[in-house]
Amino acid sequence: MRLVDDAAGGGPAADDDRKKNRYYHFDRHTPEYRLQFEKITREMHAKCPIAWTDTYGGHWVAASSKAVFELARCPAVSNYHDITGQTPYQGITIPKASRATTVRGGILEMDEPEHSIYRGALNPYLSPAAIKRWKPFIDEITRAAIDEHIESGRIDFVDDLANVVPAVFTLAMMGIPLKKWALYSEPTHASVYTPEHSPEREKVNQMHREMGIDLVNNMIEIRENPRPGLVNALLQLRIDGEPAPDLEILGNLGLIIGGGFDTTTALTAHALEWLGEHPDQRERLSRERDTLLDPATEEFLRYFTPAPGDGRTFSADVEVEGTRFKEGERLWLSWAMANRDPEVFERPNEIILDRKGNRHFSFGIGVHRCVGSNVARMLFKSMLTAVLDRMPDYVCDPEGTVHYETIGVIQGMQHLPATFTPGPRLGPGLDETLERLQRICDEQELARPITERKEMAVIDW
Amino acid sequence: MKVFVDSTRCQGHTLCSMIAPDAFQLSEIDGTSSPVSEVVPPELQDAVREAAQSCPEQAISIEEMSPSDMTRQGDSR
Repeated sequence: MRLVDDAAGGGPAADDDRKKNRYYHFDRHTPEYRLQFEKITREMHAKCPIAWTDTYGGHWVAASSKAVFELARCPAVSNYHDITGQTPYQGITIPKASRATTVRGGILEMDEPEHSIYRGALNPYLSPAAIKRWKPFIDEITRAAIDEHIESGRIDFVDDLANVVPAVFTLAMMGIPLKKWALYSEPTHASVYTPEHSPEREKVNQMHREMGIDLVNNMIEIRENPRPGLVNALLQLRIDGEPAPDLEILGNLGLIIGGGFDTTTALTAHALEWLGEHPDQRERLSRERDTLLDPATEEFLRYFTPAPGDGRTFSADVEVEGTRFKEGERLWLSWAMANRDPEVFERPNEIILDRKGNRHFSFGIGVHRCVGSNVARMLFKSMLTAVLDRMPDYVCDPEGTVHYETIGVIQGMQHLPATFTPGPRLGPGLDETLERLQRICDEQELARPITERKEMAVIDW
Repeated sequence: MKVFVDSTRCQGHTLCSMIAPDAFQLSEIDGTSSPVSEVVPPELQDAVREAAQSCPEQAISIEEMSPSDMTRQGDSR
């Protein structure tokens, strides 16, 4: 990388020169992008690994692993979101959301040093050691979700499993009552897959507001009567001796919910769909899980890239990988396309469960590495292994399967119905289990950070 | 073989310890990695090479030692 002194002074001619041979019509919000993802990715890797597109006010697109790797770590590339809208700094969304933005997207829309201050408060709740303590608790949520359907021989892997477990667990970590999971889960998923112009949108926005009100109420409650969890972590944070502003706390809580729910659901659903289509691989994964579960998880992450990319803004004139960028220009970092780069990944468009050297981009690169990556892996493995154990012969129903129409924000799924040989229940149903888990959560203070509590959760019934 | 983790690059992706759990230890607080021991025992070397290749931040570097280095090291123990 080098800073450029003269680029800022250039007129339209200089602009054309910078973008010459780099024009590519890129619109990731269209269904065509999803349907032709491999073709578009191949084309961009070959012709313009760093491309300029005129869509959404014009922005750069980084598609190759090298470009994404360098730009994601470039100090002149900013995550900052100016919610006044007065400057080009529009955070991680391209285009910016049509509804009025009043809150930044937490640490994902902050630069240093602010980013590290907030992230430092969250890390001890989300580190590998912190998440490992919850394993028995997570496995119980999974067990109960499956028990609701195991006797019937029918399940929708999205509605009945992959939507449930991440939502319940995220609330547990936050310190919000588990029984409220549906109030949070529905609007979080629906606001991603419901297009802005859809007649359903107003209903989704209304549900989203109800969730927001509950979140604020929890924040007020926890401020008055502290109870362990991520809400409390942000309330207790002091910056130069002062509490963090409420809007920043809410922004971070929104990020935890938005980041924690839909992405893990998307990963789990896609992996289950693929394994259903490849029963031999499913059987092998189950049999060799001691060695295969970890690399297979990373491979599903790479191949499906649930969060396909992030927006950025250049904060200085800079040259990276032979392209000159100007301050204020917007950039899309495509984790999904970097993940299919043959320079790094042999046979990039195939799922190879024991892939080696899988340095995938699915949790982002640089200081903004997904703060919930350890949560995602733990939840995914819990759900996947439970399905392999309890519904080993499941068959998905392609007729009822619904993928998100577009993958501009999340490469997700709305429904994945399946049938399987029925089996016996192993414990109480979901509602009763959540009551019991709530008691355990409270008594054992599971939502404390790793600095305060090291012990594993104990399921004592 | 010696292994180093560049702490300015490591972001706590945890792939190294997933691949070579006996060679890398993770911070309890944020999951960032450091080698258990800079000198890698022979039985872990393949896994450490694989971990270095798999690091999303390319934060792991390896120094292969010549046989004479290893002898000197053996002497000093």
